[in-house]
Parts: sequence; structure tokens; C-alpha cells
Amino acid sequence: MIWLFVLLWPLLGIKPEGLEVATTFSVWWRIAIGCASILVIYQLNSVGAFNFITKPVGEAVGGAKKATSTLPFAVWAFAILAFAVAYPHLFGRYAQDVAINCMIYICLGLGLNVVVGLAGMLDLGYIAFYGLGAYTYALLSVHYKLAFWICLPISAGVAGLGACIIGYCSMRMRGDYLAIVTLGFAEIVRMVLNNWMSLTNGPNGITGIKAPGMYWPDFANGMTLEHLWLKKLSLIYYVILALVIFTIIAVYRLNHSRIGRAWEAIREDETAAEVMGIPTFYMKLLGYCTGACFGGMAGAFYAARMRFVSPESFTFLESAMVLSMVVLGGMGSIPGVILGALALIALPEIFRDFELYRMLVFGGVMTLMMLFRPQGLLPPKRRMKAEKD
Amino acid sequence: MEYFFQQLINGITLGSVYALIALGYTMVYGIIQLINFAHGEFFAAGGYVGVIFMSYLLSQGAPAWVCLSGSLILAMAYCAMLAMAVEKVAYKPLRSSSRLSVLLSALGMSIFLQNGLMLTQGVYDRAYPTELTQGGFEFGTVMLSYMQLFIVSLTAFLLVALNFLVFKTRIGKAMRSTAQDKIMSALVGINSNRIISLTFAIGAGLAAAAGIMVGLYYGSVRYDMGFVPGIKAFAAAVLGGIGNITGAMIGGFIIGMVEIFAAGYISGEYKDVFAFLILIGVLYFRPSGIMGENVDDTRV
Amino acid sequence: MKRSIMTALLVSAILMLSAGMVFAKTLKVGTMGPLTGPYAADGNDIKNGVLTAVEVVKANGGIPGFDDIEVMPQDTACEPRQAVATANKLINEEANGVVGAYCSSATLPASEVLDEESIIMITPASTNEKVTSRGLPYMFRMCGRDDDQGFIALKFMQEKLGAKSVYIVDDKTAYSQGLADGVEKMCEAAGIKVLGHEHVNQGDKDFSAILTKVKTSNPDVFYMSMQNSATGALMLIQAKRMGIKAARLAQDAVYHPQLMEIAKDAAEDVYLTFGYIDNNAPAYKEFYAKYQPKHGEPGAYSGYAYDSAMAYFKAVKAAGATDPEKVKAELMKLDYDGATKHIKFKPNGDSGSNYIIRKVENGKFINYWNPATGKLY
Repeated sequence: MIWLFVLLWPLLGIKPEGLEVATTFSVWWRIAIGCASILVIYQLNSVGAFNFITKPVGEAVGGAKKATSTLPFAVWAFAILAFAVAYPHLFGRYAQDVAINCMIYICLGLGLNVVVGLAGMLDLGYIAFYGLGAYTYALLSVHYKLAFWICLPISAGVAGLGACIIGYCSMRMRGDYLAIVTLGFAEIVRMVLNNWMSLTNGPNGITGIKAPGMYWPDFANGMTLEHLWLKKLSLIYYVILALVIFTIIAVYRLNHSRIGRAWEAIREDETAAEVMGIPTFYMKLLGYCTGACFGGMAGAFYAARMRFVSPESFTFLESAMVLSMVVLGGMGSIPGVILGALALIALPEIFRDFELYRMLVFGGVMTLMMLFRPQGLLPPKRRMKAEKD
Repeated sequence: MEYFFQQLINGITLGSVYALIALGYTMVYGIIQLINFAHGEFFAAGGYVGVIFMSYLLSQGAPAWVCLSGSLILAMAYCAMLAMAVEKVAYKPLRSSSRLSVLLSALGMSIFLQNGLMLTQGVYDRAYPTELTQGGFEFGTVMLSYMQLFIVSLTAFLLVALNFLVFKTRIGKAMRSTAQDKIMSALVGINSNRIISLTFAIGAGLAAAAGIMVGLYYGSVRYDMGFVPGIKAFAAAVLGGIGNITGAMIGGFIIGMVEIFAAGYISGEYKDVFAFLILIGVLYFRPSGIMGENVDDTRV
Repeated sequence: MKRSIMTALLVSAILMLSAGMVFAKTLKVGTMGPLTGPYAADGNDIKNGVLTAVEVVKANGGIPGFDDIEVMPQDTACEPRQAVATANKLINEEANGVVGAYCSSATLPASEVLDEESIIMITPASTNEKVTSRGLPYMFRMCGRDDDQGFIALKFMQEKLGAKSVYIVDDKTAYSQGLADGVEKMCEAAGIKVLGHEHVNQGDKDFSAILTKVKTSNPDVFYMSMQNSATGALMLIQAKRMGIKAARLAQDAVYHPQLMEIAKDAAEDVYLTFGYIDNNAPAYKEFYAKYQPKHGEPGAYSGYAYDSAMAYFKAVKAAGATDPEKVKAELMKLDYDGATKHIKFKPNGDSGSNYIIRKVENGKFINYWNPATGKLY
């Protein structure tokens, strides 16, 4: 550890104009002190220096867990739902903005979770389907004036179709070969979006996308149905909330169906699954397409919310972010992925005070989290059981 | 015809750079099955260390060859040590966890290093001294600059040296056996942790050399320069059959050539699309890459 | 430690201030520009220009009716996506006016968002025609327009260089491609043969394949339309190495001291179209005296940003309020000599172009050719 910092120092501390140590040294010592303090806290914790705090807290948490575990799941779900519904009334625009972002990524994370967490295929190009969905809605809205609610299934369908084509070519490959092929496809999709000027307006993006519309009974002048554009953040918040709930239910149902079990079997051992009579190729393809459909829906919503799309939103880094959420939260577990998405979107917002240091801290924290909790924050229960046996 | 030769020269130059970066990916992958996302950052760090020492030596009035070789060796050594440190901190504790956790740790390290570079070296392009790299041969209208010659020959030299190291020395033998089976090779007395960190070091050293060459060739370096070549080199490594040294070289040259010829003959905008299409096409017909068949004995 | 003390002081100062002025009215001006990424140099120039304007206004007694002027710098990173996000953020924080953005590809989407909330936006640097031709009522522009810039480039090629053929390369942004397309059309109309028009992607470093094409077609003029001076510099280095002998003509986004820093002697004798700035005008001197000690030499768009902010403050002062209709009416009435040019807005929000040809000589930009007179400076 000390080694790394000794080595980081010249990299961080010298500028080509000469040995200008003083100014950039400050960057280095900040990083060093940050890491050192984390290390010290960790060490102290492992020796038990914090027992006087952690013990009662741990006991309290344990007690609370016991008390709450007797409560039925429905109560929990209801409480969370009530909080989510009340959220825009409790917090300001900025918080709503962050929450909407979070929920888009929850949708994406849950979609990718089907591919990576359940079916065990490493997909580095998931963002392509998000992009396909976004552009589908954007083009349909701008050119054909189609409504958001009609386009939502169309976007999901287009993304799913794209996944079928890509998947058909690449499902024969395993592991990291699949990873690079999906990455390649994602880059191709982005490049085409970027270069097909006549269709997508290239790097300049598409403006003038309509927000989702809705018919709202207007009581002021009798019982008329008034058409309403959901432009306000607090209104559009409910659209994505509905999408998230739909996605959670859909993924949960899938997870606990025959198909979901087939995927898990493929993830654990593809050859054995094949022998057991699971049509692995079609099951993998199905998983890939299902994941893509959720991505496409999230994309359509993204386009409707920003009312603007451009290829820059669909780079490899975004794919990596979504993958991080899935792995960080615990692959294959729905609450885990939600927690992962919350953590990864909320963290940079919390670190906003660090300004330029934000991404640096973000990268460091990501590594640290993996070092201390490689199985993810909330690993799925089914697999934990298997490991215990 | 002259146009073709000129593009061929361009393609070989670009291919050499990709090949050098791809080697690091492929070696690390071969030995611990990890896609080392931070590899592109070693490349960028090499470029920066290179420009720092090169301008320093130049300002001291050192002759051109001293500047070039001095900064090259220093940058390679520095990046090798950096890679070893990163491996020790971020990857070694995760050796027994799932592969995706290591992947994520690598991604975190990549973001960390890239932003560290940005914070300290600034967001602007850093100019390389171009005095050293002017002039070249002219065959009719075909230009072969000294710089291109330097890049290609240095790459060739490093490749030969690497091949010698891997296939003809005791260390190479240890690397190959660790790649095949860590436990068994530990049983016969090979310190596999040391071998793994050595592999990281060699890969990063090659990447640093590539960083300096890119800086010299294009005239500047920037903090985020590792990202795009990193992805391309990764594609090259897979194309050649990941884990295979010769494959990585071939893959690098293919990706470089395809890019240049696509830009030269079809369309400059779509060159990356063609590079990835070739990759997917090859993998479709040979799902484990061009040289991926004999992975058992030559992978490192 | 020093930093934390500073922050503590700052926080307590802010607390005291806010306690004292609960009902204080603050004029909030947002700036938009790339503060990170490859275009950060230009974005910081814009921010610094606006900060200088605020300083000057405050030194001259501020604006009646407002106790303070707050500048809210926002980072667009020159990405359309970030631009929309920052525009939304400025709306959330209730900015009264916005100076920015730098890239046309950021200004175009951002202005549509700001327009919905009727927020006045003055761009100091976006030259694409569409910025003002869409009929947005609150969009103003301090710099010139690309169709004028392209026309000057054509005039220079015809009259001074006597060019018969041209090869055009752009890097596909709303600005650079729009300009390149315009030049291509005008050249064809004027009888200059366009041997090719290639696009490169942003972030590319290797232009050897494209430059080989340029070399093989052997044009009289090589026209580069790049969004970024660093990319322009890379292209110049490679063009020199490739042995391209054509006259090289670039445009205002390539105009930055960074060009010579990276390209060094490869940048010699490059021609650039850029707005004429009279360095000896009194308003410019006032700006320079305030700007230079704090932020160093002004960049390409520092002056325009300063003028944009000054024009906005003058209009708010005259209107006595931030109501967009009133401020707009006052902006239209402005007629004075700013630091960079004579400021008088046309009904569509433009303020006119005054492009000239500048040239790199001995590592410095010099005024080279005046298109109005057709003579050298």
C-alpha cells in the first residue's frame, strides 16, 4: 500500500515544465491522507478499538432485524412504496432530479441483472439497447408524433430485436469472448448513431422530443379530459416510478419461474444444464433479449425526460457503470441491484463538494468496496443457501 | 499504388502501437484471467513520464538518442513498478473471489488513475518535443518518416525480446506454468505471486513504451488518452486469441490495418465500425480467436 | 489544514452575510462552458470573462436594485447531454440570465430548454447560424456567424491565395461540420473545385489515412474545421510530416495559443479566420487591465464573454428588473463600443460579424489580411 503511494507521487507530483513539486504535491497528500485514515480506521476496527460503538449498534441492529423480520413482506413493500410516492412532495427539484436518475439506472441495472446475474453472460455493451430504445422513441416522436405510451413497448421491442440479432451471432461464445463482442456491438451502434447524419443528426443529437402525455380529468370546467404534458419533474417522477415497479415485478416473476431457474442452471454449469434438457442456446438468447427490452424501456423514458438524445450518452463508460451496479449490489439479487444503483448514483452526488476529486474518490471507493465486500452488498439468498450447504 | 503503400505504412505504424498495448492485456489475461481495465492508464502514465523526462533531458542539452532511450527506459521502469503496486493493492486480495469483482476493482483503479492524472497534469494536451522526430525518407510520393521507422523497429525489438523471455528463459517457463496451473506450479516451487506481479510489470512496461511512441508520433499526450486505445488493444488481444502472445501481435496489426484502410478507402467516420466488424466476423467463425487453439502450451 | 480554515472562514462569512441580508436581492448569472475535458481552456476563458465583468460592474457601483451579483459557472463539457442538464440546473437555481455556451452543439439544445422558461441567453462563442435563426426570442449572440466566416474564408481563398481547389476536413460537431458544409457549398458556387470533404470523429488521434488522401489529391488549400485547437494541432503536425504543401486555412475554434504550444513550427503560416479585435480601444484596455493580472492572457473568447456579461448588466440596469421582456427591450436598445466590437443587436439577436484573416508567424497570431479592403495589414 505504501508502495503504491510512493510510486504515485512522482506521477502526480512532477510536471513537464520542471520539477514543480509544490503545487501538485497537495493533490498527492490529500489522497494519501484519505487512504491512510481509511486504513487506520479499518485496522483499529479489526483490533476492536471501536467495539464500544459497534457492539451496541450491532446489537441494536440485530434486535431491530429480529423485530422487523416478523413483519410480513407486504408491510415493508407498502412502507417503501409510500415513501417513494410521497418523495416528490418531501424534497426539492434537485433531489427529485437525482431520484429520477437513480430510478433510470435501477431499471437498467435490473435489466442487465437478468443477463449477467441470472444467465451469467458478461455483457459489456448493454448500453446499446438503452441507446436503441432512446433513439426509437426520439425518432418516432419527432417524425411521426407518436405518443410516449405507444412508443414504450415499441422501444422495448426494437431493443429486444436488436438483442436477438446480436445474440444470435454471439451466443456461441463464452465468457470474455462474449464480453468483447457485446462491447464491439455497442461501439458499432454508437458509431452508427454518431455518423448516420440524415437519420440521427449525428453528434448534435435530436431535440424537440415530446414529454409523456396524459389525459387528466379536468373538474374546473365540467368533466372534460384534458391532455397534459408531463414536463414537471414531480410528474415525470411518477412515470419512472411506475416503470421501476413494473420492472421489479417482471424480473421477480421471471426469476422465480421455470425460465429463471433454467438461467441459473446455465450460469452455474452450461454443459450440465444442456444435459439436463435445457435448450441452452434459446434460453441464453431469451435472457439476452429480455434484458435488452428493459434497457429499451429505460431508454425511451430517458429520451422523454431529457427531451434530447445524443450518442454521447451511450458510451462504454455507461455500460461499465451499469455493470458496476449489478456487481456491487450483488449479482442476481433484486434488492442488491437497487441498492447498488442508489449507491453509485448517489455517491458522486454526495461527493459533489469534492468537485474535481469526485471521480477520483469514486474510482477509489469502487476498488475499496470490492476489496472489502467482493460478493456485493446484498448477495441473492438462493445462492447463499447453496454455498452454505 | 503509391497511395496503397503510404496507407500500408500508416497501418503498420498504428498496428505496432496496438500490438504493444495488446500484449499487456493478453499476458495478464493469460495468467489470472482478468481483463485489466487499468492497462490503458499505464499507457497514459508512460506517455506522461516520458514527456517529463524527455523535456528535462532536452533542456539539459543531452543528445537526441540519450533523450529517447533514457526516457523510454525510465518510463518503462516506472510503469512496471506502478503496475506491480496496483496489482498488489487492488487485485491480489481478490484472487479467490469471483472474476467480476476483480473486473470491477480494475475498473475502479482505472477511473482512479485517470482522474489522478487529470488532477495533477491538467486537462490540456501536453506537447511532446517534436524536434527529435522530424524528417524521413521519401520514395516518390511515399513518405516514411524516421518516427514511423523508429516505432516499427522498436516494436519489433520489444516483441523479439519478449518472445525470448517467455520461451527461452527460466522466468518464461515459470510464467507459462503458472498460467496453466497455479497450484501445481506452486507445488514444484514456483512463487506464483511473484510471477504474476512480474507479468503485470512486463505488460505495463510495454504499454509505457507505446505511450511514449504515441506521444512522439502524434505530438502530445492527454490524461484520457489511454481509454480508446485501451479498448482497441483489448479487441486486438481477443481477436488474436486472448492469452496468446503471437495472437496479440497479429490482432494488433490487423486492427491497425483495418482502421487505416477503412479510413483510406471507404470512410473516415466509420473506421472503428469496420475494426469491430472484423473482430466480430472473426470471432463468429473462430470463437476463440485466430491463434486461440493451442492455448494450452503457449499461453502466458 | 489551510484549506479547512479557509472553508470555515468562508462558511462563517457567508452565514454572516446571509443573516444580514435575508431580503437581499441577488442578480444570478449563469455561465455555461466546458470547464473539464478537451475544451476546458475555452470554457474557463468564458467564466473568467464574466467574472471580470462582474468585478468591473461592482467597482463602478453595482446595479441599483440588486445587492449582489452571483455568478454560477456550469460545466457543459461541450456535450449536448451535459448542456441540457446544466440548463435544467440553472433553471432550478433560478438564474436570471445565462452567458454561454461555448460549443454550438451545447448552445443549441441548452437554449431550447432555457427558452421554455424565458431566460435570456447570450452566447459569446457559438457561431453556428442556427443559434439565432430558430427564432428563439431570448437568444443573443456576441460573436460572428459561420456563414459570414465561411464567406470570408472563401474570399481569402479566391482573392489572396488564388486557389483553384480545396480539400475540406471537419470533426463533426454542429459548429465544425456546419461551417465546413457552408464553405463547401460556397466554394462550389464560386468555381473552386472541392476535391473532397472528409469527417473525422472527435477523440481521434491518428489522421494519417485522411491526410494521405489529402496529399494524393494535391489541393491548393487544405481547409480544417475543427472544434478544438489541440485536435487542429495534432492534424497540423501530421500534415507536416506527411509533406502536405497546400496552404492551410482554419477557423476560430482552432484559434488558441495552445495551437502553437503543441504544433510548434508545424503551425507556422497557418491562416485562421477570426473576429477583429482592436487591442487599443479604450474598452478593451479597461477589460485587459482587469483581466490579465488575475487570469493571465485573455483567450480567444474571454473578451466576447466579458462583453456579453457587460451588455446583460447594462440592460438589467436600464430595465431596473430581471423581467425577460424588459431586459430584452433594453438589450435591443444598446448601442455602444464594447471591448471586442461595436455592440448593437439585430432583431434576430445577432450582433454582426467582423471576421478577418489572421496568421501564425513566429509562434504568434498576427492580423494578416483585411477582407473589407482586400489588403494586408
